Amino acid sequence: MPRYTVSDALVLRRSPLPSGDVVLTLLSEHGKWRAVARKGRLPGGNLARLSLFHDVTVQAYRRRDDDLAVLTQVRLNGALSGLTRPEAYPYAHVLAELTDALTVDTHVGERLLAVVASGLRGIGSHDDPEAVALAYAWHVLELAGLAPQVGAAAARPATVGDSPAVPAGPVPASAEATDTVAAPVCDRCGALATRLAVDAGRMRCDDHGDHVRDVWLGEDGARSLALAVRGPLRAAVLAPPEDRKRAWRALQAYVREHVSEVRAVTALARESA
Amino acid sequence: MRYPTPLLTLIRALSRLPGIGPKSAQRLAFHLFNRPTEEVLALARALEEAKTGLARCPRCAHVMATDEAACAVCTDPARDTALLCVVEQPADVLAIERSGEYAGRYHVLHGALSPMHGVGPDELTIALLLERLDGVTEVVLATSTTVEGEATALFLAQRLRTLGVRVTRIAYGLPVGGDLEYADEVTLGRAMTHRRDL
Repeated sequence: MPRYTVSDALVLRRSPLPSGDVVLTLLSEHGKWRAVARKGRLPGGNLARLSLFHDVTVQAYRRRDDDLAVLTQVRLNGALSGLTRPEAYPYAHVLAELTDALTVDTHVGERLLAVVASGLRGIGSHDDPEAVALAYAWHVLELAGLAPQVGAAAARPATVGDSPAVPAGPVPASAEATDTVAAPVCDRCGALATRLAVDAGRMRCDDHGDHVRDVWLGEDGARSLALAVRGPLRAAVLAPPEDRKRAWRALQAYVREHVSEVRAVTALARESA
Repeated sequence: MRYPTPLLTLIRALSRLPGIGPKSAQRLAFHLFNRPTEEVLALARALEEAKTGLARCPRCAHVMATDEAACAVCTDPARDTALLCVVEQPADVLAIERSGEYAGRYHVLHGALSPMHGVGPDELTIALLLERLDGVTEVVLATSTTVEGEATALFLAQRLRTLGVRVTRIAYGLPVGGDLEYADEVTLGRAMTHRRDL
């Protein structure tokens, strides 16, 4: 491995140290990695370029493979000043922290970098940053292979395991509609899932859900989730769930079960409670 | 070879301090071992007294001695009570005081908004700030110029404007004595955006 490497990266996390150094978590097309910017907190260094969420090109030095890389040069490709707006800031954290949590053991690579960069740009500039954050959060889960199962299977009988043969969930408006519009499916019977089991992070139809404890997404929320997972993302952003509070609670329950506690999502879900 | 238990305990305790890794902790532990007993005990006493003898000022959340009613800035009658400067950390108060350009009072937030680190408005002293605006005509937001500091400033500005207080932000720009060509593009961009008439 060469000692010096140059890569495009997004700053996902910054941890300033009392010594004046800053430890950065960066996402590049090779995956997530950590590096230290020596004296990065002091004026005259690279501190402005290495701000949170910045799109940068960095040169890093590593003597051995297992060393923490030291950043030797930084070039700023794009600063997203719109992300500091109170309307956008919490949502940028959601996307960055979720990406950080998802890339602990997995290597998602170039596609994830493009999606997260696009998501942050959207959150910074869109009129409805919350809709952008929700859509991109479900989409990065899909890129990591952790999203709920989505298909046009709401009217199709399930055939696996001990699930009932005939879906008893809510009847879609028409069979044609379910064939053309993607929808999350119940993990037990394959019907249109309108609930998310809080304790298991599973998608459930009305018949198999726990009506007392689960987050009820409703049909619009379920279809919005499916669009975010399947894409196109633009369609998901344009058709956000009507009840945002429910959407955040569902995302929190799902992420907590399948990934880990993502504090930025938990904070939004708590506000929604 | 295993170190004696007291030494291991000391190394572990020291390595919990920010910026101190296991190697530095080990060096410090051996350094303390080699110092005279009275010097080490004086350090232990200083640590204990600092912990038990310091508290947050009930008005501004700056550091104060526990046997006082408020911090030195809040009790200083020469201070301009109509001017309030909001900073992130107690160390920022000292930095602004060193500049000698500010004579108002302070409010210490003890952090900046960062949802990914679990820091929301409730974790900062924002509620205390909103309670102490009687007689204040201007609030100077002097949070850091990081993304977190900027977001905190914009959040506070939104809240404070609804209360009818004038809200200002410390200026951005080039470091005094620095060459323009060595300035980074973000700082230079901000300096251009916030240029002023001469």
